[in-house]
Amino acid sequence: MNDADLELRRRTYAFFVEHGRAPGAAELGEPEEILAGWHRLHSEHAVVLNPATDELRMLNPFSVVPTAYRVQAGGRWWYGNCAWDAFGICATLHTDGRIETSCPDCGESLAVEVRDGQADDDSLLFHVLVPAAHWWDDIVFT
Amino acid sequence: MNLFRSEEHIARWLRGREPGATIPVATLAELAQAWWDDRIAPDWQPHTREQNQTILERLGLTGAFWALP
Repeated sequence: MNDADLELRRRTYAFFVEHGRAPGAAELGEPEEILAGWHRLHSEHAVVLNPATDELRMLNPFSVVPTAYRVQAGGRWWYGNCAWDAFGICATLHTDGRIETSCPDCGESLAVEVRDGQADDDSLLFHVLVPAAHWWDDIVFT
Repeated sequence: MNLFRSEEHIARWLRGREPGATIPVATLAELAQAWWDDRIAPDWQPHTREQNQTILERLGLTGAFWALP
């Protein structure tokens, strides 16, 4: 990853954290150049694009689109791509937070307070279906 | 990668699929801290495979299931 792409990635994340939404390519510069950079970052797993639209889909651990993992942190609500990313949002922002989701089996609401990087409910379990070697085969499914 | 109330809920949700790995939420919290802590640091650089594998190993997440490509 070259310095220009690292800088584009930095600016993309900074925009997202400041505004609470993903930038369009034209908001960061000449659209074709930005899109080309995002594609390179996508191939390095540094951002995730929606292949159908070329729009940002994930800025891990943040999800650009609504998901089942809502996170209140740093004075704003965010979406995590999964439970790991939901905790990751608090870690990324270096702040406490609250994760709200529901049990994928029964639909019961689950809420976790994160304080100093620790969950307030130790009884919950985290299940990973896909082996690590295949996480990026289909990152949206993972 | 989901949160569940109990093993019973995981088993029911799997509906016959091969289970993956289940870890306590406390381990997940530690994992997230180590994995994502630097994500918006101005001097962020991509983690190497070795760095990420070390994070997993330090939390006891070892074996074929946790082996990164």
